[in-house]
Amino acid sequence: MTKRYVMVHDENKCIGCQACNVACRSENSTPDAVTRIQVRIEGPHGHYPDLHFKYHRVSCQQCENAPCVEVCPTGAAYVGDDGIISINKDKCVGCQYCIAACPYKVRFINPETRVPDKCDFCKHSRLAEGKQPACVSVCPTDALTFGDANDPSSDVAQLLDTRIHFQDKAHLGTKPRVYRIPGKRGGINQ
Amino acid sequence: MKLDRRSFLKGAGASTAGCALVATLPGTLAAFEQQSLKPVGSEVNSICEMCSTRCPISARVINGKNVSILGNAAAKSFGGAVCARGGAGHSLLYDPQRLVKPLKRVGERGEGQWQEIEWHEAYQLIAEKLNGIKQKYGAESVAFSSKSGSQHKYLFHLAHAFGSPNTFTHASTCPGAYKYAASAMYGGGVKRDLGGAKYIINFGHNLYEGINMSETRGLMKAQTKGKAKLVVFEPRFSIVADKADKWYPIKPGTDIAVALSLCHVLINDNLYDHDFVEKYVAGFDEFADEVKQYTPEWAERICEVPAADIRRIAHELAAAAPHALVDYGHRTTFTPEEFELRRALYAANVLIGNLERKGGLFFAKKAKTYNQFAGDDAAPTLGKPGVDGMPTITAKRIDQVDQQFAMTWSKGGVYQSILDAALESKPYQLKGWVISRSNPMQTMTDRARVVEAMKQMEFVVCCDLYVSESAAYADVILPESTYLERDEEIFDKSSKSPAYYVRQRVVETIGDTRPSWQIWQQIGHALGLGKFFPWETMESLQLVQTKKDAKLLQEIKRQGYISYGVPLLLREPSYVAKFQATHSKARVADEDGSYASALKFKTPSGKIELSSTKIETMAPGRGVIRYREVTLKQPNQLFFIQGKVAVHTNGATHNVPYLANLMNDNAVWINPITAGHMGIKSGDKIRLYNDTGEEHGVALVTPGIRPDTVFAYMGFGSKNKELARAYGRGVHCGNLLPHVISPVTGMSLHTAGVSVAKA
Repeated sequence: MTKRYVMVHDENKCIGCQACNVACRSENSTPDAVTRIQVRIEGPHGHYPDLHFKYHRVSCQQCENAPCVEVCPTGAAYVGDDGIISINKDKCVGCQYCIAACPYKVRFINPETRVPDKCDFCKHSRLAEGKQPACVSVCPTDALTFGDANDPSSDVAQLLDTRIHFQDKAHLGTKPRVYRIPGKRGGINQ
Repeated sequence: MKLDRRSFLKGAGASTAGCALVATLPGTLAAFEQQSLKPVGSEVNSICEMCSTRCPISARVINGKNVSILGNAAAKSFGGAVCARGGAGHSLLYDPQRLVKPLKRVGERGEGQWQEIEWHEAYQLIAEKLNGIKQKYGAESVAFSSKSGSQHKYLFHLAHAFGSPNTFTHASTCPGAYKYAASAMYGGGVKRDLGGAKYIINFGHNLYEGINMSETRGLMKAQTKGKAKLVVFEPRFSIVADKADKWYPIKPGTDIAVALSLCHVLINDNLYDHDFVEKYVAGFDEFADEVKQYTPEWAERICEVPAADIRRIAHELAAAAPHALVDYGHRTTFTPEEFELRRALYAANVLIGNLERKGGLFFAKKAKTYNQFAGDDAAPTLGKPGVDGMPTITAKRIDQVDQQFAMTWSKGGVYQSILDAALESKPYQLKGWVISRSNPMQTMTDRARVVEAMKQMEFVVCCDLYVSESAAYADVILPESTYLERDEEIFDKSSKSPAYYVRQRVVETIGDTRPSWQIWQQIGHALGLGKFFPWETMESLQLVQTKKDAKLLQEIKRQGYISYGVPLLLREPSYVAKFQATHSKARVADEDGSYASALKFKTPSGKIELSSTKIETMAPGRGVIRYREVTLKQPNQLFFIQGKVAVHTNGATHNVPYLANLMNDNAVWINPITAGHMGIKSGDKIRLYNDTGEEHGVALVTPGIRPDTVFAYMGFGSKNKELARAYGRGVHCGNLLPHVISPVTGMSLHTAGVSVAKA
């Protein structure tokens, strides 16, 4: 693998504004009924007045051990040499095994193409033009950082070296390439 | 269609979105054939219009069917970012419910019976009716109102040509108070350098939901790069409260007590900037005398914030001064004492001497001012079209009967006075109302009263993108092109240095709509007032602005946003040094390396007026900033407060497809203790009622609200079927807010007492 593209979501900086959600939708022509990415504001948790929200990015985790790829009978779901999980629509037979297998529940049938769809870090639209994914470029608070984790000088590599982070459902052994910096009160100042 | 296994399974995830789900209303896009989008350029730099901030954007058309909108990266403080509302702009274009043909009312007013007409018929009808009213009752009996911003001056130009002084913006229902308070104290509007601040005190200015891109980014920059401390006072646990170092769930409507108490500590503990006060401030002694009584202990009894905390915060603020600020807020018309609250917040800033310092407040540096300091033409100045022989209007404005509102007359007026004049002939009867992109039915208080006022008008014209709640009561609705289909004039976007930007069409117009500047111009012609509209096209107007410099115009259009020079803060020596290094003929600095001696204030005393004799004359008893007790609710009621959400704008975006999909309801926040007493659970249907009105909604039981308060995001619960995605969904806030006009600022009131019951 030449590149290892990853996304880091700093939940301290995230304000749950859905700018990423909308930018992704218009950039990738995602139909209204389905969503490639959203940020769920959960809570407030805690006891009044000591409260906090959680900002949970829900999108494809680009797993290193991807269940969707493993179960695909035709090889339509595949991992590119950049680590991004993509879908070859010509090979897809619409069996929806990948949708059932995804532990993050982020795959869906695109009602227009009738092929399973999900976040691909804008691989075929913006990345191909050397641009950052749409969600990263519009984020009002710069909560998203994207890049090649194999490059030690990249912003993502430095963030992962210096900040406490976690991955969603890590216990499943899927090894997601979306990393989260957990939010906490006063955490912005770190 | 290829019938393979995939096609066979298509039902599984199929969507009905994109289909017109409502019965087709005449004049809407659903009644027309959809075409592909015709792009004007491959990538167009323009200006957003999904809220009043109007961020610089960069848009392009994808495959003739989609517009992708990002921020314009050239606008540094906006960071190339765009919020959800901005990104959703294109879903307006293809919205089947969008209006694309003029409509004429054919049934009773507000009944929803419409007929499509041609533009020339609409103009003819409008000219006939308005000229008829003018002949019978005088031109002043027609009111003209518009959301302030890019287009309002074209409507106001028409009003002036027509002969009516009654022009109103939405200021008194939204941003008026802090502007008038700044005008009274500093002699003009000030801006916040949030990004440079080391300590920020925030009274419910929820910049992380009510997104103003450069300020939202500035606040996050202060918190991340500057490691600034943020203290938030707000009755609700908003996103900005969540991101704060400390949140105080303050009792609604009592912010002024904390603000005055902060001032008390700054003066009493000798923490204020003596040199600044001596040099630039008038009326300090009267103010100091007044705030002697406003101790933190006094404030604690009123606002339920611990006195020790207020004292500590005042000390922390002073320690970070002058690179610190007390945010003077935005649409926070908490109480009728708005004017005093805003002045009290500014006063705390004055005491720490943060004016024209990094992280403090500052005046915008427009080209003329900036060039004077630079000693050269660092930035071009814009020309204005001169119109000869505009009529002199002798009739007084309807809000001009009361001298205390004098500051508002030239800056938007008291919008609600249209209702008083229409319903009570105070001071005289209004008969006509021309509304442009303004939705008083949502944004004013006491909705029922707005309906009554509309019903008694002889003639109402509305210009909008949708049949808004207000447009539903018009006689004629004029469909405006969306901002993605309009060219407009060059706007000044100066901040610490001069900047200009321009709105340009991204796609060719869909359907039969027109930009409102053109609509008002053409109505001017129909009214026989053509001589007052000397410009033919937007391009000709833009060339007047650039003083016939076609090259400059092309450059502004190409870049979309241009800023000139380097940031300048007059009292910050490092900024002045950089400014001098950039501009060889720059003004010589003072001994301390600043331009402090050049600081001027357009107030009667030429200084910042902590206490004002001018205000005392306008509104006796209000020269000095003073606390007055207000009653916002009855003892058996709960406070009802509202706020902004990141995916909608006030009364404007709730029917936009993308945004309606993200959020189409506003559950009512209620504390678990309060809800427990009433047996209310999350998801239960509840009833909110008071003397003004009654609303039905759904409860959201959450600890993120004080037990004595309920909260709802504003703008929901449309009562007109034409807004199909918003109709009947959620609580309509304006239907629960009483009609109260705040002294001096003329603001409407956004805190009320309500009773809550299970429905």
